[in-house]
Amino acid sequence: MIDSTPRAPGSKGVLADTLEQDAPLGSVQTVGEALLENPSVSCRDVAVHYGDKQALFDINLDMGTNEVLALIGPSGCGKTTFLRCINRMNDTIQGCRVSGTIKIDDEEINHADADVVSLRSRVGMVFQKPNPFPKSIYDNIAYGPRIHALTASNEELDQIVEDSLKRAGLWKEVADRLQAPGTGLSGGQQQRLCIARAIAVNPDVILMDEPCSALDPIATARIEELIDELRENFTIAIVTHSMQQAARVSQRTAYFHMGSLVEVGSTDQIFTNPRQRLTEDYITGRFG
Amino acid sequence: MENPIKGHTVESFNEEMQREHKTVLEMGALVRSQIRAAAKTLQDEDPAAARKVIDDDAKVNELDNEVAAHVEQILARRTPVASDLREVLTVSKIATDLERCGDEAGRLAKLTLHFFEHPDLSPNFQLLKEVSTVASFVEMMLQESLDAFDARDTYGACEVIRKAEELDGEFRSALRRLTTFVLEDARTIGQFVDVVLAVRALERIGGHAKNIGGYVVYLVTGRDVRHETLDAILRDLAK
Repeated sequence: MIDSTPRAPGSKGVLADTLEQDAPLGSVQTVGEALLENPSVSCRDVAVHYGDKQALFDINLDMGTNEVLALIGPSGCGKTTFLRCINRMNDTIQGCRVSGTIKIDDEEINHADADVVSLRSRVGMVFQKPNPFPKSIYDNIAYGPRIHALTASNEELDQIVEDSLKRAGLWKEVADRLQAPGTGLSGGQQQRLCIARAIAVNPDVILMDEPCSALDPIATARIEELIDELRENFTIAIVTHSMQQAARVSQRTAYFHMGSLVEVGSTDQIFTNPRQRLTEDYITGRFG
Repeated sequence: MENPIKGHTVESFNEEMQREHKTVLEMGALVRSQIRAAAKTLQDEDPAAARKVIDDDAKVNELDNEVAAHVEQILARRTPVASDLREVLTVSKIATDLERCGDEAGRLAKLTLHFFEHPDLSPNFQLLKEVSTVASFVEMMLQESLDAFDARDTYGACEVIRKAEELDGEFRSALRRLTTFVLEDARTIGQFVDVVLAVRALERIGGHAKNIGGYVVYLVTGRDVRHETLDAILRDLAK
């Protein structure tokens, strides 16, 4: 069990001490309610190795339906690695080994028979930097439904494109230029285009890896508003370095540290009265 | 004791937090001296000193405004969370309670002006004894609550909350004794009302000290205990 005693006066905090040691925490008992009844995504004993180096240690964490889960922690703590486990993005990294079980609606995603293409249609991902395809706005959205053969007619595809852009809050801004290149949009618009592209295939889960880090405050606010609206229909996990963003958009927050999941709790609790000193030190800026 | 509001990567944040902590303690010391001085003006029959107490309340108000402005800036610029947020909220709440304590000390000083600027109202000194006793008690409570804040001492804070119950008993005893005087000599009824109002003002100061004790428990544990019994608070602290 990691230390939860109060900080000594003037101490830089336990976080600074452990970072100076530069050693993983290893397998720790997570404090808080990491597991849920009837989760949408269920992760048990998830560990990730890059070659000989272990990056994640026995992560047990559930994601609930219609909730936004914020993953926070210092750089290199494993939060993005964990996120990438959920749609098997780590498969593309040579030497990366994932163990443990990850289930989405009770289906094991790492099973030998699991269809990765189908998985990625169920688990959309939005990255730090907007990455629209070098295609038209229309084709960016239509790409997924086409490859997954979700539509029987052009009219149906038109409807999906329109609906996705509307749900992403972008329709009014681009309705009259759907054939214009997606790369011609502003940064905030491109990110909403990427979100529209992710939701076009009607996924169960949306993973967001620092989706606002390249955006200005107005574009950030629009994405955050969008995340709140999307929560009604999707399970969302968001990695963010902005404590305020985590506090604003999520219902639950998970704090990762050196490859371990230290604490999980309601966002209200984590940001007002965290139970672990490591969490407290990180969110209050007693870092380094 | 040094307060553990340190360790932020941004040093200026440490400085801002410590400055507000210090300002509140300074404000508390000023308010305590105001309460002591106000009670003394009654004993000394000193309207001039009472005027000074009333005038000096402006200094308490000034510190209250200062804390409020700085708290606003810290919230806007630093967006504190967890223990930092509780520290900022606690400082803000304590400053508000101390400002009200200053107002109550002013009310006490006005009683001196009322009695001793009008020789025909010369009071019954037996009545005034009650004021002095209660004033000493609440000043001590206030001191203990601020010591608990400075040391983040939850048990010290609980002791203040316990003393508030004692004060409640003392207030009722004082009322009974004062009533006896009125029953013996109905001509003292006007003074009776004035003295009851003064003791009531002091009792409110005790209530503010109790509030500060509750804020200290909140600061340390994150639990809002304002509406909980002392037993419940102690049980929770023992867990």
